[in-house]
Amino acid sequence: MTNSLNDMRHAKSLIFIGSNATEAHPVSMQHILHAKETNNAPVIVVDPRFTKLAAKASDYVRIRPGTDAAFMMGLINAVITNGWQDKEFIRTRVAGYQELVDVAADYTPEAVEEITGIPAAEVTRIAELLANNRPTSLTWCMGGTQHHIGSSITRTFCILQLVLGNMGKSGGGTNIFRGHDNVQGATDMCILSHSLPAYYGLSDGAWKHWCRVWDVDYDWMVGRFPAKEWMNKKGFTLARWYEGVLGEVEIESPSPIKAMIQWGCGSNSNSQYNRVVKALNKLELLVIVDPFPTVASAVTKTDNVYILPCSSQYETSGSVTSTSRQIQWRYKVVDPIYDSKDDYQIMELLVKKLGFADEFYKKIKQVPEDITLELGSGSLTIGYNGQTPDRIKKHMENWHTFDIDTLQAQGGPCDGEYYGMPWPCWTTDHPGTPILYDVSKSVADGGLPFRNRFGLEKKYDSSGRTENQLAAEGVYNPGSEVKGGYPEFKDVVPGTNWKTDLSQETLKVAIAKGMAPFGNARARCVVWNFPDQVPIHREPLHTPRPDLISKYPTYEDKPNHYRVHTRYKSEQDPNLVKDYPYVITTGRMVEHMGGGAETRSNKYLAELQPEMYAEINPRLANDLGIRKTDMVIIESPEGAKIKVKVKITKRVDEKTIFLPYHFAGTLMGESYEKDYPKGHAPYVVGDPGNTVTNYGYDIITQIQATKDGLCKVTRA
Amino acid sequence: MARMKFLCDVERCIDCSGCVVACKEGHHVPVGVNRRRVITLKQGEPGEKSISVSCMHCSDAPCIAVCPVDAIYQREDGIVLVNKKTCIGCGYCFMACPFGAPQFPKGNVFGARGAMDKCTFCAGGPEEDFSDEEKKLYGQNRIAEGKVPLCAGMCATKALLAGDADVVADVYRKRVFQRGSGVNAWGWSKAYKKK
Repeated sequence: MTNSLNDMRHAKSLIFIGSNATEAHPVSMQHILHAKETNNAPVIVVDPRFTKLAAKASDYVRIRPGTDAAFMMGLINAVITNGWQDKEFIRTRVAGYQELVDVAADYTPEAVEEITGIPAAEVTRIAELLANNRPTSLTWCMGGTQHHIGSSITRTFCILQLVLGNMGKSGGGTNIFRGHDNVQGATDMCILSHSLPAYYGLSDGAWKHWCRVWDVDYDWMVGRFPAKEWMNKKGFTLARWYEGVLGEVEIESPSPIKAMIQWGCGSNSNSQYNRVVKALNKLELLVIVDPFPTVASAVTKTDNVYILPCSSQYETSGSVTSTSRQIQWRYKVVDPIYDSKDDYQIMELLVKKLGFADEFYKKIKQVPEDITLELGSGSLTIGYNGQTPDRIKKHMENWHTFDIDTLQAQGGPCDGEYYGMPWPCWTTDHPGTPILYDVSKSVADGGLPFRNRFGLEKKYDSSGRTENQLAAEGVYNPGSEVKGGYPEFKDVVPGTNWKTDLSQETLKVAIAKGMAPFGNARARCVVWNFPDQVPIHREPLHTPRPDLISKYPTYEDKPNHYRVHTRYKSEQDPNLVKDYPYVITTGRMVEHMGGGAETRSNKYLAELQPEMYAEINPRLANDLGIRKTDMVIIESPEGAKIKVKVKITKRVDEKTIFLPYHFAGTLMGESYEKDYPKGHAPYVVGDPGNTVTNYGYDIITQIQATKDGLCKVTRA
Repeated sequence: MARMKFLCDVERCIDCSGCVVACKEGHHVPVGVNRRRVITLKQGEPGEKSISVSCMHCSDAPCIAVCPVDAIYQREDGIVLVNKKTCIGCGYCFMACPFGAPQFPKGNVFGARGAMDKCTFCAGGPEEDFSDEEKKLYGQNRIAEGKVPLCAGMCATKALLAGDADVVADVYRKRVFQRGSGVNAWGWSKAYKKK
């Protein structure tokens, strides 16, 4: 999120695509509605479903699932062909623009109508609406990412904002709402298989950096792996870990996965859930750490499952990071109740038993303050070092001194600082960076240019043109010594750069010069290390429009994609739609959360949403002879089935079925309730929607494609 | 003296049921008894609107008029409360109420019901303030603590307003002015081709 929830109050228009903020992020709505009411900002909602957010929109655009990139490229093309682009912003701060223009030209309003189902005139009208109401705040969520081209789709969102000149501006930006408590913090710590904390990656340099931070011997760390080469290889992802257990597809791993710890993870948020269940049962050891027994504890028929009762957030303390990149301190309200322990205690017992407590706790004496200090001292890439526990707590104690519009403290002990010191916060007297890439403020006051991340110059494959990747002359933060683009800082302390200099001297020197430690560059429209250098539309793997496959085909199959062979081309069967004629998409309901282990165990939330359902348009229901209160069977092309109650509603169109994904505990009428630990079955159970979400994974990130599969529906 | 009122701003209500859960959790209201509900009209279609409804604490409350045992009464600040120890569970108030506010615990096979339960505006009941008896029968007494009702306090978008009717009306009036003035004026967008 480049801006903050509060900053959205300054937007002159807002566009949401693949986001149902009203249900997934209700608290954000006060700021969104403020912009709508105070600025008369158009609220544009692009979604296959008329969501509760669409109910609050001024303009609702219904889009065919999985065609977001085509629509965005269409908007970009409409902006450019009508001369609405921000020419000065593009000239000075954007790279690869000409190469973008060439690709976007294919997405005429008519071509976009053909792909997305959105009328051509509507494409131009929305583009004009954005052009006339700048800055625009753009928000996407899982509806934008969970596709096999999710990484391309998200890039089109960013590029649209660059072309309109909406980046680095109050009221503008790309504002991706994070879906869980502290998920921004989890991402920043890279609880992922392809990077060490703070996006350092898995190179030797990254390992050596973190070993210095942790004060552990690098060679000792190397010795923890079966062979050194595995330190630098990406691991399995959450989306497909089970393939590492099942061994049914080609995997690249020194060993199959034999044991697993699920720490605060509802397994039913995984697509292809039948395969997940199979893998859970094949594991030699499964440990579940959660305040509530998750469904994984019930679907496993083996006796090697251990449930460690973990305390809730109210029974522990520590630092957490919000969607606005703000770091906050959470104080303990009560001690952990019953037999539960907090995460720190569980981790400590585990680490001691595994025998590396000395190394693990070398710099952590006082929990949790020392954890925040340690992770901050190493996370220089994203400026987590300025937010010390003392400063974070001071912000919490002085909430009332921060302005709701600017998030800046006016007077008091935090005078001039931004609430939560949004990262990057480069030094312990830096106020935090409320808006990323904002060159109107000095770096010391929270300003920032674009980062110089990808070299100084690039020759593009498509055009043969060479372009300087640094920002143009005249683009700089106030007070900068260099009055234009500049590369990242290195060798201030010999042998280090701004992100590996643990003395933090480099950061201080850069800020003293009025410059950003990471340089001042252009944002790129061409990503030469991705298969689609400029993003394009590709038909969903399982498409209801096989006639478009030849023009917009998927990728070649990808072996060893996060260790797992992944099918693309061989999976895109044009005949699938004959037997599976309806598009299936999933999403959230406001009452439940994630896998629902917690919320379905709350009697009041259970009362409000007591049953799993599938949303079906009245016209389709009538055509299929389905009446309200009927049960339906939904079948995926993989042969998985669920049996759920029907909800007949115009929220979805005649070709689309919507499923909430929070349910679990039954499958095709069979209940697992008896298999939960005695007395711990949730109040509400239902078939997991993810049983029938289809095969499909993003080409870069491997996120599961749950928003654009196909299915068959019959009356039960 | 101030009169207490609720007002739900339908332009702001997002149908999240946060008010419902705040009320139930805060007062330990049994499942099946709804002191507050969110009603949605035209669900899934353009024009969809939601509104949070509970006892409206009517100035001239029909429930008080029909109660055969005078169990329902109005405080000086306008809050309408029921004395559960007097209530006979006849259900007349439910028939009289235009909003369906009075709630009854689940009846037995002969149709007999327990005492009526409804929104207290978080003001407890006739028992002594903060007594165990008050808490058991009616829930918290936030008004006596000088706080707004839980539902309004919890509302994420400040759609649900509660408090002195004059202040509530003033907040709402300001919002209406803001939405309806200047470039918000009807026809403005069309005249200037703004949208």
